[in-house]
Amino acid sequence: MRDLFRKIRTTGRAAEAAPRRPEPALPARARALAGSVQVRHVDAGSCNGCEVEIASAFGPVHDAERYGARQVASPRHADALLVTGPVTRNMEMALRRTHEAVPEPKVVVALGDCARNCGVFAEAYGVAGAVRDVVPVDVEVPGCPPEPEAIVAALRGLTGR
Amino acid sequence: MTSAAFTAALGLNLLAAVAGLVLPPRSRRAAAGAVTAAGGAAAVVAGVSAMRGGEWSVRLPDLLPLAGVQLALDPLGGLFVAVTGAVAVCAAVYGIGYTRHGGLDGRVPQVMAPVFLAAMALVPAAASVSTFLLAWELMALASLLLVVAEHRRRDEVAAAGLWYAVMTHLGMVVILAGLAGFAAAAHGESFERLRAAADGLPEWGRAAVFLAVFAGFASKAGIAPLHVWLPRAHPEAPSHVSALMSAAMVNLGVYGIVRVGFDLLGGGPAWWWLAVLAAGGGSALYGVLQAAVSSDIKRLLAYSTCENMGLVLVGVGASGLFAASGARTLSALALTAALLHVVNHAGFKTLLFLAAGSVVHATGTRDLDALGGLRTRMPATAALFGTGALMASALPLGNGFVSEWLLLQSLVHALPSGGTMTAVTMPLAVAAVALSAGLAIAAFVKAFGVGFLARARSSAAAQAREAPAPMLAGMAAAAAGCVVLALSPGLVLPSIARPVALAVPGPDAVAGPVTLRLAGLSGTVSPLLIAAFLLVAVVGLLALLRLAATRRASRRRARLWDCGAGPMSPRMEYTATSFAEPLQRVFDNVLAPETDLDVTPLKESAYLVDSVTYRTRVGDRVEHRLYRPVLAAAARVGEAARGLADGSVHRYVGYGFYAFTGLLIALAVLR
Repeated sequence: MRDLFRKIRTTGRAAEAAPRRPEPALPARARALAGSVQVRHVDAGSCNGCEVEIASAFGPVHDAERYGARQVASPRHADALLVTGPVTRNMEMALRRTHEAVPEPKVVVALGDCARNCGVFAEAYGVAGAVRDVVPVDVEVPGCPPEPEAIVAALRGLTGR
Repeated sequence: MTSAAFTAALGLNLLAAVAGLVLPPRSRRAAAGAVTAAGGAAAVVAGVSAMRGGEWSVRLPDLLPLAGVQLALDPLGGLFVAVTGAVAVCAAVYGIGYTRHGGLDGRVPQVMAPVFLAAMALVPAAASVSTFLLAWELMALASLLLVVAEHRRRDEVAAAGLWYAVMTHLGMVVILAGLAGFAAAAHGESFERLRAAADGLPEWGRAAVFLAVFAGFASKAGIAPLHVWLPRAHPEAPSHVSALMSAAMVNLGVYGIVRVGFDLLGGGPAWWWLAVLAAGGGSALYGVLQAAVSSDIKRLLAYSTCENMGLVLVGVGASGLFAASGARTLSALALTAALLHVVNHAGFKTLLFLAAGSVVHATGTRDLDALGGLRTRMPATAALFGTGALMASALPLGNGFVSEWLLLQSLVHALPSGGTMTAVTMPLAVAAVALSAGLAIAAFVKAFGVGFLARARSSAAAQAREAPAPMLAGMAAAAAGCVVLALSPGLVLPSIARPVALAVPGPDAVAGPVTLRLAGLSGTVSPLLIAAFLLVAVVGLLALLRLAATRRASRRRARLWDCGAGPMSPRMEYTATSFAEPLQRVFDNVLAPETDLDVTPLKESAYLVDSVTYRTRVGDRVEHRLYRPVLAAAARVGEAARGLADGSVHRYVGYGFYAFTGLLIALAVLR
């Protein structure tokens, strides 16, 4: 226990200084969330590159929770879906049902090039399409994978903080 | 009144046995069942009348050679006769429907059930050692025949019957030895004679008598470590017989301890009762732990019987302990709690075993892991089992709550007054009672939740049918009795005060019609008011929620969340085993579960798994550690002795000759 406290004291603050507050260009539905966005991540067929960056965005350095975004364990608790990867045929129905399970008002973020336009997997036999072909998408984050700063910026775009 | 009713009870049971013997199979069940139920009702009347002061005794010197038969019904015996009769009414009515299938309408089960009941009514009415032992043995034999009634259908029944036969007869032997020694020292075998002679006995003689009969009666009451027959025999018996055994027969073990310990021997030193209390506490904890991890519904109920009898013995032991230290009020309170718990346990255990019997009748399995979803298929049985589970879990609204509260009050109030021994013992006893009450809730939540709620885990459970009317009537009668006991224990407490006063002379320990007040101690409880308050609170809360739900503007219909992965299946449900797993992990050292893990790799590579078999089983540790070695040793001795008998006639003649000569020489030397 004492070691833990010493570690906390010696490490100090690891998070980078917050960048400038983004312009309040929120999608209309995100405004109803009032600055607190519970995010459920759905891996619809990703290569896990985006997942590494998401972990980094919610890690101590970029610390997306500072801005009111928080990851949750069930779509029933979520306001936003964070979808990565091209939507594979195996995950198509699951993504649709996950989207149905999120209570209104809800926002969908398509994260990474694969989620936007299937990336290098376009027209592969197991791919059903991009995320927007399956569920309505509100925000897109480009990049393969997108940098944590971009992810944080997109989430700040939803929280407005 | 008592005499007429008791005679009627015996006569009606005899009539039922005759009806079972001579009537054709079609009318046998209904006639025997109805007459047995009437006999049970007569026994209730006899018992209650004896408890209210209508004592009765009779001597029939010519009925048996040498000793004759002596019967007497006093308040203490009357209590147990009344409980037996009430259980008999429910079980007999239920039996009319239950014994329709499975060969249970044969002559042996139909004749033996009323004989068993008559024997159980005779045991508390016996007033001499020979009459008592005769009734005891008749009860054991009749119940043994009932336990093995289904031996043609399942192989385990024979093994259960064997365990029961051996254990009950070993118990009989020690009771016989104890009471015979007592009678020889008292120069007479009537209970009056024993009572008068008890004070003249030497201290070691009294202790020997008490310990011998305590061991025998504790084995009948299912007290650990002498309980091993109970979780085998009760599940394998037909369910109405399980109810009779678990709700009525085990009580007679308690009766024996109270009768001999308090009444005949007139109490004893503190260490006797400390032993009783320790055995009771240990049994309560062991029984409830095994019940909590059991996934066989009737085995769970059987272990719960071990637990409840343990709690009763905690009360009996505490009562003796307080009496030995001179605290009369506390002693009376503890014994009142114990006897009330006997009555309460009889009520809810009848209900639970009968409801479990309906489940077995409808699905053909006792395995909770293969049940589920019975609430929609068998709503009445589910409601009745739920009632029984609530009654058994020592929560307010249940009848177990009242007696366990009284028991805890007696143990808690002992702290300031007693010496070092109570100061050490009572906190432990309180902890044991509290822990067993908590674990009992887990066990019954599991039994009801896994067995009746959610979805069916097997096709047998999915196609279950509601029990026929006689079975429902039997269960409903038991449930009604439980509800009355739970809401107004004030109705029965005055009747229990007399048997208590017989054992521990003094004023009533608990008084009051609605609010129970402890005499001489600070403590009140009012089950009726608690129930009314809870009812109002729950109804009010539900109304508020309903109001809030209807006032919301828009309601969205959404699919049940199943992780997006297609329909939920019963395989995803909690099973009884998985529900109990955390408990099993916590009590790993006590339960010592056996687990087997077999991983079979593919032929091509050791890293590719073909199949995995996982098997876990929680056996009875007492049986493994205590009984198996003894049985193995006996088997070895038997094997070795087989060498003596090799089939040669010459050798057998030689044995006879040498044995005879040896005997003659021994006689010549000794004389």
